[in-house]
Amino acid sequence: MSAWDYLRDRLPSLLIRAGAHLLVLVFLLAFRVPSQAAAAAVLIPLFGAVSAELLEYRRRRRFYGRLRTNLDGLDRKYLLSETLPEPDFAEARILSEILCETGRSMCEETAACRRESADFREYIETWVHEIKLPLAAMELIRHNRGCGVCGEQLDRMEDCVENVLYYARSGSPEKDYLFTQTSLRRVFSDAALRHRAELLERGVSIRTEGLDVTVTTDAKWLAWILGQLLSNSMKYLSSEREPEIAVTAEDKGDRVILCFRDNGIGIPASDLPHIFDKSFTGKNGRTRPGATGMGLYVAKKLCGRLGHGMEAESAEGQYTEIRLSFGRDGWSEVLREKE
Amino acid sequence: MKILIVEDDPVLRNELAVLLRGAGYEPLAAEDFTRTLDVMRESGADLILLDITLPGMSGEALLREFRRTSDTPVIMLTSRTSELDEVLAMSGGADDYIPKPYRPAVLLLRISAVLRRASGSSPAERYRDAEVSAVRGSVIRGERETILTKNEMIVFRTLLSRRGEIVSRDELMTALWDNDEYVNDNALSVNVSRLRAKLAQIGYPDAVATRKKQGYVLL
Repeated sequence: MSAWDYLRDRLPSLLIRAGAHLLVLVFLLAFRVPSQAAAAAVLIPLFGAVSAELLEYRRRRRFYGRLRTNLDGLDRKYLLSETLPEPDFAEARILSEILCETGRSMCEETAACRRESADFREYIETWVHEIKLPLAAMELIRHNRGCGVCGEQLDRMEDCVENVLYYARSGSPEKDYLFTQTSLRRVFSDAALRHRAELLERGVSIRTEGLDVTVTTDAKWLAWILGQLLSNSMKYLSSEREPEIAVTAEDKGDRVILCFRDNGIGIPASDLPHIFDKSFTGKNGRTRPGATGMGLYVAKKLCGRLGHGMEAESAEGQYTEIRLSFGRDGWSEVLREKE
Repeated sequence: MKILIVEDDPVLRNELAVLLRGAGYEPLAAEDFTRTLDVMRESGADLILLDITLPGMSGEALLREFRRTSDTPVIMLTSRTSELDEVLAMSGGADDYIPKPYRPAVLLLRISAVLRRASGSSPAERYRDAEVSAVRGSVIRGERETILTKNEMIVFRTLLSRRGEIVSRDELMTALWDNDEYVNDNALSVNVSRLRAKLAQIGYPDAVATRKKQGYVLL
C-alpha cells in the first residue's frame, strides 16, 4: 500500500476534517480571539490529526505489506491463511477471519479431492491385479489348448492393463518403487521378451551393445518404459528399409546413458519438442493408427519420478533416438556396496 | 520332479497343472487352504509354486513359517506388483518371483532354472557318452570335440534339460531371448540345423528330431 493510495482512500474524511478546522478558525476569528490563540487552537489538533493518520498508515502498510510478501513466497496461494501476520487493527482482524475461514474450506475441499483420487487410484490398482487373474488363466489355456490365434489379442489386452497401472502410478505421490542395482541387459531382455511376438511378426531385428552394466533403478518400471519405447518404434516403422532397433549403453563414469535408436520414420522437427506432452500425437499420430499420446508422456513422468533423464533426438525419415540417463550419485554407490 | 501348486483360483490351478504335466513334471495341487502349511510340509515336492494372496494365511507368512523347517525351493506367483511384496518374498526365502500374467514359456524357464540351482551345480552335464562343457562352449566325445556357438549352446542345453520331451519352438525362442539373443524364426531354424550337423560330426546324426508343428526332441 503506497502513501498515495492511502491518501486517496482517506480523501473524503480528510477534506471534511480540513473543512471543520477552517470553520473553527473562521469562528474564532469572528469572536476576535487573539490570532496566536486561534492559530494554536487550529494547529494543535491539525498536528494531532496528521500524526494519527501517519500512525494509521504505518500500521496498514505493515500488515498488508507482510500479507503480500507471504503471498508471493507461497507456491500454493490458497495456504495464505496459514501464514497471516498478527492483525493489530479491526479491519485486519475481520480480513484475517475471512481468510482463515475460506482457507480452511479450501483445504477441506482439496483434501477431499485428494482422498477421492487416491481411492480411485487404489481401486484401479486393485482392479488391475484382479483382471490379471483371468488374463493369466487365459494365457495358460492358450498355451495348453494351443489356440494360438487369440494370442496377439491377449498380449494387447495385457499391455493395455499394464499401461493403466503405470499411468495410475505415475501420478501417485506414494513411493511405490524399489531401487536396486539392476542390469540393463536383464531389464531389456525382459521388455523384449514381452513384445517378442510383435517384434518377430514385424521382422524387427534387435542389436544390443554394452548392456552389461548396472544402474540404480526400479527394474519393473524401467522394463515398462523400455516396453513403451519398443511398441512406439513398432508403430512407426519405415517401409523403406529393414527395421532395426539398436540398444546401446555407455558408461560415462558419473552416469550411464542408454541409447534406444530405431530406423523408423522419425519425428518432424516441429513435433519433436512436444512428444512428451500429454495427449500429443503430432503428424505421425494423425497418419497412423494406435497413437494415444500417452505412452511417452507417462514414460517421461515415471523417469522423472525415478530421477532419470529422458530426451529425444530424431531426423524425419531416418531415425528416432531416445536417451535415458541414470545418475551415479553417492547414494547409488552405497546401495551397490550393500549388495 | 514333483511340483506343488498352491493357488486358490481353481481355473489357474488346473491350467498350471496341465502346463506342468505337459512339460514333464508331476504337478500336485493344494486344495485345502485351512491347512496349507501342513500340505506344503507333507507334499514331498521338489519345488513349490506359491501364490501370494491366499485365503487365511498370506503367501508371505506361509513362506516364513515354511522356511523354518524346510529349504525346498519356492517360486512366488502374484498379481500384486507392489515392490513391498517382492522384498518380503525375497527376504522371506523365496527362490524366484514371477508376476501374473506370466508367459507360460517364461514360467517353465524359471522353474527349470530354480530346480537346476537347487540340485547344486550339476557336475559336468552329459549327453549320452559325451560331455557338455559350458566353459569351453563345446561338446566333447572321447577324442572328438565340436565347438558350439552361444546360440547353439543355449538351444542344446535347453533341449538337454528336458531330454526325451518335446520342447516347442516358442520355448527355445524364449530361452534365447532371455539370454540377450534376439533371433527370429529363420535364425532359430538355422541354429537347430547347425546344431544337428555339429552333433552328427561327433557321431550323433539322429540326436535332434523334429516333431511337426510341436517342436523338437533331443533323443
